[in-house]
Amino acid sequence: MTPTLAQLQALHAQAGARPRALPVPPLDAMGRSPRQPDVHTLRQWLRLRDPAPATPASGAVDRSLPGTEIAPGLRLIEARLPSPAPSRIAGAFDRRDAIDTHRVLFFDTETTGLAGGTGTRAFLVAASAWNQQGLHIRQLLMTTLAAESALLGEFARWLAPDTILVSYNGKSYDAPLLRTRYRLARRADPLAGLAHVDLLYPTRRQYRGAFANCRLATIEREVLNIVRADDLPGSAAPAAWKTYLHGRASTSLKRVLAHNQQDVATLAQLLPHLSTHAATQATRKGKVGTRLGPVAAITTSAERPS
Amino acid sequence: MNATAPLPPPPDTGKAAALAARLQRKYADRITGVITQPAAPGRYAAFPDDLPLALREALASRGIHQLYSHQAEAWRAAARGEHLVVATPTASGKSLCYTLPVVAAAMARHAKALYLFPTKALAQDQVTELVELSRAGELGIRAATFDGDTPGDQRRAIRINGDIVVSNPDMLHQGILPHHTKWARFFEGLRFVVVDEIHTYRGVFGSHLANVIRRLQRICAFYGTRPQFILCSATIGNPEAHAEALIGAPVTAITQSGAPSGGRCVLLWNPPIVNPDLGLRASARSQSNRIARLAIRAGLKTLVFARSRTLVEVLTKYLKDVFDHDPRKPARIRAYRGGYLPTERRASERAMRAGQVDGIVATSALELGVDIGALDAVVLNGYPGSVAASWQRIGRAGRRQQASLGVMVATSDPLDQYLIRHPEFFSHASPEQARIAPDQPVILLDHIRCAAFELPFTIGERFGAVDPTVYLQLLAEDGVVYREGERFEWIDDSYPANAVTLRSVADGNFVVVDRTDGRQTIIAEVDFSSAPLMLYEGAIHMVQSTPYQVERLDWDGRKAFVRRTHADYYTDAIDYTRLKVLDEFATCMAGTGACQHGEVHVVRRVAGYKKIRYYSHENIGYGPVHLPDQEMHTSAVWWRLPQAVLDGLFASRQDALDGFLGAAYALHAVARVAVMADSADLQRAVGSADGAWSANGDGSGRGQLRALDGQVLPAAAIGQFTPAVYLYDNYPGGVGLSEPLWQRQAELVAHALALVRACGCRAGCPACVGPVLDDSIAYAVSPKAHAVRVLAAWHAS
Repeated sequence: MTPTLAQLQALHAQAGARPRALPVPPLDAMGRSPRQPDVHTLRQWLRLRDPAPATPASGAVDRSLPGTEIAPGLRLIEARLPSPAPSRIAGAFDRRDAIDTHRVLFFDTETTGLAGGTGTRAFLVAASAWNQQGLHIRQLLMTTLAAESALLGEFARWLAPDTILVSYNGKSYDAPLLRTRYRLARRADPLAGLAHVDLLYPTRRQYRGAFANCRLATIEREVLNIVRADDLPGSAAPAAWKTYLHGRASTSLKRVLAHNQQDVATLAQLLPHLSTHAATQATRKGKVGTRLGPVAAITTSAERPS
Repeated sequence: MNATAPLPPPPDTGKAAALAARLQRKYADRITGVITQPAAPGRYAAFPDDLPLALREALASRGIHQLYSHQAEAWRAAARGEHLVVATPTASGKSLCYTLPVVAAAMARHAKALYLFPTKALAQDQVTELVELSRAGELGIRAATFDGDTPGDQRRAIRINGDIVVSNPDMLHQGILPHHTKWARFFEGLRFVVVDEIHTYRGVFGSHLANVIRRLQRICAFYGTRPQFILCSATIGNPEAHAEALIGAPVTAITQSGAPSGGRCVLLWNPPIVNPDLGLRASARSQSNRIARLAIRAGLKTLVFARSRTLVEVLTKYLKDVFDHDPRKPARIRAYRGGYLPTERRASERAMRAGQVDGIVATSALELGVDIGALDAVVLNGYPGSVAASWQRIGRAGRRQQASLGVMVATSDPLDQYLIRHPEFFSHASPEQARIAPDQPVILLDHIRCAAFELPFTIGERFGAVDPTVYLQLLAEDGVVYREGERFEWIDDSYPANAVTLRSVADGNFVVVDRTDGRQTIIAEVDFSSAPLMLYEGAIHMVQSTPYQVERLDWDGRKAFVRRTHADYYTDAIDYTRLKVLDEFATCMAGTGACQHGEVHVVRRVAGYKKIRYYSHENIGYGPVHLPDQEMHTSAVWWRLPQAVLDGLFASRQDALDGFLGAAYALHAVARVAVMADSADLQRAVGSADGAWSANGDGSGRGQLRALDGQVLPAAAIGQFTPAVYLYDNYPGGVGLSEPLWQRQAELVAHALALVRACGCRAGCPACVGPVLDDSIAYAVSPKAHAVRVLAAWHAS
């Protein structure tokens, strides 16, 4: 009846995927560890595996990043798209007055995780705004943790008391996350009191059920006909940044920069689109359930029927 | 908040005393001890001069016109800015000790307070009281519970506007601290942290809580506050030391209650022996049922505590059969336990407060201060595991300062049998020491991980008394934190608090999945350390006395798949434990032997299981179990005898083995009392110091030797024979139980020896050295006598 030792050892090895026993040396009378261990000893106590040795950098690693370093560890990346601001944006789709295009600031962040809480930070903040030349996109990327304070300071300078923030799910995600970061950096929250148009809600109202989901990538593909080449999904952003932080190549991080840049460019198209669509719908009042297919060729306001 | 003015004695003062006298006359042979607490007058103090007028009026409107002396003492200590612990009996008005300073500070300077209670029910009670007090005096104090049940739309308002936030340690750990920036205003104003029922925070749970408090203090420091702690405890042996260990700072202890007591008679009740040879007694259940019936018939409001949910249901049924047979009348008997819906529990509480219920059967869910109105009698069906908890439960009767009755009915458990014969444990000051080990490395690593998520660590910063550097280096190696310059910053994509459960070991529980009729329902959870003993394939697993059979155990996935069965047997795991001494920290003489404590390697193996038929309890088969060994390093205390002494005492190795096993059984029972340990936290073993063999009982009083591979060996077959009795902390790394046991070893041996010697059985029984078969004639010397020899050899005379 009693299994052999070999049998049990085999089972034991199989169960090794989740090592249970955490043997550690006992404590002294006060519940303190009797000696101060080094990391290796602590691992042995806790039965934790040593980390996999870091892959040695093979020859020249590409650590290049676009933009300029405007403060230690903080890079500013700028881009300009020749798409001028629409002349007027009706605010009815978000139940507000007409939106002054020169006050609008589209913004989006890339973060170290999705877990939320004080341990999650925005390592990349992008904003775009219309000016005479078209859409001006600015990105702030921190390449050291110490640069976070400078990043928060710089972003705050981009905001004016009459700025209208425009985001996609920013009310529940990006803005609270930044609020937490400003609080931790002991800085005033520059987002407090600003008008904020979160395009997720009007998008949902218009397209609920039309597509598989209402993620920005889906909406821009289905509604704005924007197709991204070689896009890195947002979920890969934390790993890309961590990789760079640990001294490895910048390849993935550059793709994150491109992805994030497109996000704020897309927002600048989505806002006018939603605004006009709401107006169109209003004129077709009563036709409930009109299924809205992809709206082709809306890439600039100039092409839009007035 | 209890009325402090002495009430006129209610007309039924005599009923409880009369029943106590009647029981003593009729059942003298079952009563092993009577503890009489005479009625004591209250010691009062006038409201302090600096108590705000509005608060004074609010108290007056609730019938409170003066304070008990300990409440006034607490007010003064709080005013001096000291941390304090109030350890006075149940129903002595402990909550006013913190309510007064907290509410006064909230009124005067918008000070905020955080209350932590171990259960949600207590938190709700506390908020109800605060709201009523605030309303009575129009104090404008906003108090709210914040726990898993708080609706999302109220959370923001509570964070921003709450003066007093009432929560629990788990919520603080997982919901508040990792989101502290949302609570910035609260933390900036936080002046008081109240931790009630701290005697429940011991062992693993207490060690976790101490670290959650370290994290709280760290967050408070970030917001520039250093809140004052007010802690409350049931009467334990070391309230001050325990409170200081929890908060890591000096604490003023207030232990003299000024509350009046209406007199109490406590009977220690041992069920009558029905088989003297086997030491078999009548069941505690039948005795508790009988006593409760007598009490309810005598017009006493009676509360019965049972140790399991099943037993609650059984006892409730028995009492209902007597008192609630007429369905047209409102129920006189109610059950109260965990697992009921909150609304149902609230309804029971209301009915009890209104005096509509004559008998309540409850689990420990009613042990803490949930308000259920006045009671006259409490029956404990079995020792609750600590003297402190016993008094806590017995104290539920007699809230209106009327004479009350408490009866503790012993089960056949050795701990029960030990205590029931030692009334001095109940009558003297509590001998129990609550112990925690906040620097336990496994627990510490968990909380340093959580703390790093909450705020970066700066080089040189301490975590409580600990230098966290090495832990942070480990986390950095794993890529969880990142060291840059002088700081360790969190960079991982995870929420570490979700992976740390305060109330159990870190590895997570097993879930029991019912697959009957194609279902996929989770019907129970089993903690990791119990899983090998309960969830092996073939095991009969009982849920609400319904039997399920384990069909498959997914060890890695932590799941057991079961199916409803109608087996006429239950199963019992055959397990044995081998210990190997790794390091000896200290040695002392113990009689003619030695007692040591140190580090041990423990291997526990479940080799198989027995099938035991219901009612007849005959063994109807065996099954094999294939599970990985449970291994851990932990701390232990152990006793040995030199070879010469051993050879002189025992004619054979078998005799010596029986003696050591019996001694281990008795020492374990006594030690659990000394360190207030659950049997799961402190375990016993007999074996050789080098781990070459281990011994366990065969269930009939004879020991068996097992070799490394688990094979049973004849005692003569091994080379060197140096058995030892081990008591060890059943938690990797230990939770600080063994070392105090080593320091008190002489006392333990003396008590264990007295326990075995005083036992009325012939050859040994479950109450002293463990079960012994009824073949005492076959013994030249009984296992019990062997155990006495071993213990006597360790007894310094």
